[in-house]
Amino acid sequence: MKLSLDREWPALAALVVLYIFLAIAAPNFYHFDNLRDLALANVSLLLVAAGMTLIIVIAQIDISVGSLFAVVSVAFGALIKAGLPLLLAPFAALLIGAALGAMNGALISYVRAPSIVVTLATMIVWRESLRWSTGGAWVEDLPKNFQWFGFGQHIGQAVIVSSALILFGVFWWASENVSAFRAIYATGSDAEAARLAGIPVKQVLFAVFVLMGALTGVAAVLNAVRFSDVPANSGMNLELKAIAAVVVGGTPITGGRGSLLGTFIGVLLLGSIAPALTFLGINPYWEKAIQGAIILATVLFDALRSHRERRLALA
Amino acid sequence: MEYTRRLPPTKTSDAPFSPVILEARQVRKSFGAVQALKGVSFDLRAGEVHALVGENGAGKSTLIKILTGALQPDAGELLLRGERIVDNTPAKARSLGIAVIYQQPALFPDLTVAENLALASESGTPWRRVDWRLRRETAAQLLATVGARLSPDARAGTLSMPEQQMVEIAKAIHANAQVLIMDEPTASLGDQDAANLFRLVSELRAKGTAIVYISHRFEELFLLANRVTVLRDGVSIQTCAMNDVTNADLIRLMVGRELDTVFPKHQTTLGDTAFEVRELSCRSLGVKNASLTIRRGEILGLAGLVGSGRTQLAEALFGLAPVDSGEVFLNGQPLKVNSPGDAVRAGLAYVPEDRRRHGVILELSIAANSTMASLGKISNASGFLNPATERQLANDSIATLGVKAPSADTLTKNLSGGNQQKVALARWLMTDPKVLILDEPTQGIDVGAKSEIYHLIGQLAARGLAILMISSETSEVLGLSDRVAVMSHGEIVGVLDRAEATPQLILEMALGHSE
Amino acid sequence: MKTNRQQEWILAAFILAEILLFSLTGRNFFSITNFFEVIRLSVELGLLALALTPVIVSGGIDLSVGSMMGLCTVTFGALWSDAHFSITVAIVAALLVSLVGGFLNAALISKLRVSPLIVTLGTFSLFRGMAEGITAGARNYSGFPASFLYLGQGYLGGIVPTQTILLVIAIAGFYLLLQRTVIGRGLYAIGHSSEGARYAAIPVASRLVLVYVLSGLAAGLAAIVYVAHLGQAKSDAGTGYELIAITAVVLGGTSIFGGSGTILGTCLGLAAIVVLQNGLRLSAWPTEVAGISTGTLLILTIAIERWVNQEKVRKTTPILQWSAVGAVALVAAFAVFHFRSSSAGLTNTSAGKRVTVAVMPKAKGDPYFISCKVGAEEAAASLNVDLIWDGPTGLDAAKQNELVQGWITRHVDAISVSVENAPGISTVLREARAQGIKVVTWDADAELDARDYFINQATAQSIGFTLTDEAARVMHNRGDFAIITGALSAANQNLWMSFMRQRLAEKYPDLKLVAVRPSDDDRDKAFAEAQTLMKVYPKVKMLVAISAPAVPGAGEAVRQSGRKDVQVIGLSLPNLCKPYVHGGEIEAVALWNTKDLGYLAVAAPAALARGTLQAGATSFHAGRLGNVEIKGSDIILGAPLLFRKDNIDQFNF
Repeated sequence: MKLSLDREWPALAALVVLYIFLAIAAPNFYHFDNLRDLALANVSLLLVAAGMTLIIVIAQIDISVGSLFAVVSVAFGALIKAGLPLLLAPFAALLIGAALGAMNGALISYVRAPSIVVTLATMIVWRESLRWSTGGAWVEDLPKNFQWFGFGQHIGQAVIVSSALILFGVFWWASENVSAFRAIYATGSDAEAARLAGIPVKQVLFAVFVLMGALTGVAAVLNAVRFSDVPANSGMNLELKAIAAVVVGGTPITGGRGSLLGTFIGVLLLGSIAPALTFLGINPYWEKAIQGAIILATVLFDALRSHRERRLALA
Repeated sequence: MEYTRRLPPTKTSDAPFSPVILEARQVRKSFGAVQALKGVSFDLRAGEVHALVGENGAGKSTLIKILTGALQPDAGELLLRGERIVDNTPAKARSLGIAVIYQQPALFPDLTVAENLALASESGTPWRRVDWRLRRETAAQLLATVGARLSPDARAGTLSMPEQQMVEIAKAIHANAQVLIMDEPTASLGDQDAANLFRLVSELRAKGTAIVYISHRFEELFLLANRVTVLRDGVSIQTCAMNDVTNADLIRLMVGRELDTVFPKHQTTLGDTAFEVRELSCRSLGVKNASLTIRRGEILGLAGLVGSGRTQLAEALFGLAPVDSGEVFLNGQPLKVNSPGDAVRAGLAYVPEDRRRHGVILELSIAANSTMASLGKISNASGFLNPATERQLANDSIATLGVKAPSADTLTKNLSGGNQQKVALARWLMTDPKVLILDEPTQGIDVGAKSEIYHLIGQLAARGLAILMISSETSEVLGLSDRVAVMSHGEIVGVLDRAEATPQLILEMALGHSE
Repeated sequence: MKTNRQQEWILAAFILAEILLFSLTGRNFFSITNFFEVIRLSVELGLLALALTPVIVSGGIDLSVGSMMGLCTVTFGALWSDAHFSITVAIVAALLVSLVGGFLNAALISKLRVSPLIVTLGTFSLFRGMAEGITAGARNYSGFPASFLYLGQGYLGGIVPTQTILLVIAIAGFYLLLQRTVIGRGLYAIGHSSEGARYAAIPVASRLVLVYVLSGLAAGLAAIVYVAHLGQAKSDAGTGYELIAITAVVLGGTSIFGGSGTILGTCLGLAAIVVLQNGLRLSAWPTEVAGISTGTLLILTIAIERWVNQEKVRKTTPILQWSAVGAVALVAAFAVFHFRSSSAGLTNTSAGKRVTVAVMPKAKGDPYFISCKVGAEEAAASLNVDLIWDGPTGLDAAKQNELVQGWITRHVDAISVSVENAPGISTVLREARAQGIKVVTWDADAELDARDYFINQATAQSIGFTLTDEAARVMHNRGDFAIITGALSAANQNLWMSFMRQRLAEKYPDLKLVAVRPSDDDRDKAFAEAQTLMKVYPKVKMLVAISAPAVPGAGEAVRQSGRKDVQVIGLSLPNLCKPYVHGGEIEAVALWNTKDLGYLAVAAPAALARGTLQAGATSFHAGRLGNVEIKGSDIILGAPLLFRKDNIDQFNF
């Protein structure tokens, strides 16, 4: 795996600056407890952003993940409440996520509708359908072994974080080393050339959205078991955070290139802002503004860099 | 006018008894109401270079796409070594050993050279692990074989056109193709790279590969091909040994009529200096101290190897990139051009090289395209468009230039290459320019349309325009120009009069040998 | 642009079908007043959608328009209210802000060639964030002069809403610009190929600057109209508008890839959405159905357009005929479904004549209101009331107004609202009363003359004081504590906090409030905030959570942290908090009987509508609640309850 950081270094630099600042101004940020809680809180963002990376690599976008997350969370809880064994429930959740992702994939790949429009529509339809059918009610009175998969808090936390990291790691490795994943990069780089090279472009495109749905499903499960009940409206603004993390991490929106390492850094950076603000005593009201400024700074940086690249190439 | 390139070793003599590898029988293909192929039969033998010629729209591209599985025929069959190929797809064709190098390199710009090469030939389950080390080594070997000095880790998007073409060739070799189809392979190659290519083609032929070679440059065909097939209007007119035909024969077969004087050189009286460029430099484009003058009614040809900076000079003159130093004068008055808008207002016009991406906007109609640089003419003072005026001007252009289309509302993407070029020309002529820059005005256009465009150029010169004509076809440059400027490595190395210009001289100057 | 024409015809057919359907199922749908109300509601969205059309035609997109509305809104409000500028100057300043924002987008997109999606995603966060930052999320400017409010709430000639003029001008202006001028021609070219346009001597950069600046300006104008319409200026103005505007544009046939699209298409797309929402509302369908239908409509439109664009299909399939058939089928299906589902209803003559009461919570998705709904439905069933329970899914003052407006058109017998924004909603409530509809507020009040009665479960003051007192009791009157609130802009919570601060200052000098963090009514976020608070302020021994989902979130955080020294109190539902009350993390939960509140929210207006409750009464008989006390115009529910370990199991809501 190549580790040249030419696209990821701005995000990394920002992260390092932030963390140095914290080390000086609020050293208690670095307590194990806080770092562990930070990790747990961002497990779902990490997995969703991983899937979003591939979606952006294949030159598409998906703004329905937040709604998908909410639906799978509630379905997961409801299934367990209805008696589905705890061992099977996560797989059921994964399947439901994959099925919803397949909806997106079918419309985008086979009907060839633009992804921004399709996922805008499914985002609305899924969330509203969920609200309509649950009436906004939380899933409560779940069996005791729902929380932490029954492992108890500390083991459960370790299981959640390590599952997510392992899954992410596998995903990262696969994206560089498994031929099917390389087909995603090829398709994102030039779909027509991919077709001519014999890559089944439509299937690949479809599969990426199914994968996104499945990953979001897993993220929903890993998040849900941190608590003892399931709220009706989770995953708000998840898509924005995921896209921001991918973009800030250096993956260009034009597709063909992507860096899961960059996404990891992006997730860390964006996930650390809110707690950092509290630790530094800064008004919470500025969180969104800071998030927006980071995104804009990243794109500015990137634009200036490619400006330079273009001029160097021509000289 | 003939000119010689570095020649490969003489081609092997025809081998009438070598086996037929690939055969197309009575292939038909229609696109809606348009019949592209009306029953074409074509055969290809092992160890031969089989030239395929025809005007644009004759069906060559369609035939190629069917052979490679990118399109399905409506009727007819394909046979590989006598066995029918059923349900041809790009993947299947590849696995059968049929490889193609298209005019436009189809590399993945964001992937490395190594991965590009690997994707072209690897097969196996989608879930297999990728061996990067092997990929890089294989790539390095292949690049050495084709003589390309590239790193396997370079991203394909950062390579120049000729370099990309080399990678394409390496792809085909790697695929161990039994059949290699090359569509205008030297279109973007300079002479040195072309010579390299000819060497490779000969080597492949010697190994027994069957090669289909499409080119408008007859000189190459006479050097390389064993046989030639002429397509016209979706039908194969004649197949014969290359030695049995002449230039004129080929043209006649392609066009169906005799074409006299492909290069009508009008005699024009030249006026004063209309356009003068002094020491123009544009760092971002690589233009260095370019100087030239063009008189009214004069056609100044601009020759040079691919990559010598001719298009870049044109772009700098037209305001597409900022100029760092130097001066430009139009009719004696100094000219400052910071944008294409400035250029047009001053009276410059530029018909770009890339017709499909820059010359026209394919998704728009002929009317919209032709009026696009003259929007002031079809609108009132407040900027409101006048559809009636637009239609009238568009129809006038269509008539003047002889654009073959049902109406001015026809989308440009539905026109043939030649007609698209006419629309591009129409756009710029409508601006009533004083200086017209033409960049490869007949690239990829069939002989008939070429002739029409040469007539047009002559007429424009006769009207008093100062014309700068960039072209890579030496015969075209020599045939039309009053003087020939030669560029090399971003600089104008010399200007020759019509009388003293010869292909050898131009080539030497283009290569950088001073005289 | 042939497919665009088709799209326009399909939309027109669809709109006709909608009108037909809703005329049958919706009360007073087919009337002049409703027509103009629909237009009034469309102006803000319309301005955004119109300006987005040239942006999308040029191949770009602008996600920041809704957030820009928020920023301009608070700029206007702050300048007029705090800096005491005149209305005119404040408007100009707000519009200047919108121009600057538009320029920011334009500069990044056209000069630096960055993807419009990403740039406007960044400014989407930035603008909203600045609005929240400036107002600390909480400030709500109101009290604007009537002459200004006339722009958004008044009528010209008695029937035409004032802002219609602006909409008409905008439609004409954008139509001419996009489809009749040189500039517009250039935009279409750029949308197809910006490189091709550049080589054709079209000044691409300046054209792009123009469209993004116009988009910003439109958002600024929409903001002014919004404030005039609603009577309030808050940082959450325009939330979600960008997506609806984009939906309208795409629905209208504009290709998201650029190069095609018409203003007529956008108008039709917007009309389709707005008529759909209005019609569903008047047919007493809940707001979720509007959202689902809009999303489905979008998918169907795109799918049909794609299918139609395939070569082989285009010539052979009669699109219009099939669309007409499809529209008729949809209409029939809806009508059947509607009439079947609404015919269920008992007539219980003993309780008095059947009346229709429309009840609106602040947020349908909030568990607090969900439990109120249970009581409301109980009252409706036993008191012979046709209950319409509807409201925005989250806190949204503009949506509340829209809904009330729809109910007025539908001429329900009584309206019962839990008010998100008092000044804003009072205008429509007054109008309702003027039309003979009885108005009752509950949970949170409107202006006094806008309602007949207010069902007061507890004043903001008593809530604030109760929470502070309980916190003080648990902490023995000394120490540090922190508050976790809902959304920064939630009016109620902010009011409670101001009373809490007052109580602290008066009675508890040794008790210190060290931090206030928002949770956006999200359990997970409250959890994370609580965790962080405990680490940043290790001396904090008490977390006061004043949003229903936040209390269990904080409780879980305390439990997982193992901090036995930290307690949580808050305002929430007993069911959500039971595990933590028993576990000891939550000391006490304050609330009142939400079921009773919901019950009263139906019983009182029903009584008003029937005449059994009149003005000036001192008590009234409210079904199973028996006699309920009335003080002035406040109907008193009863004292707030504190749920603790010993009594929480008695309650199930």
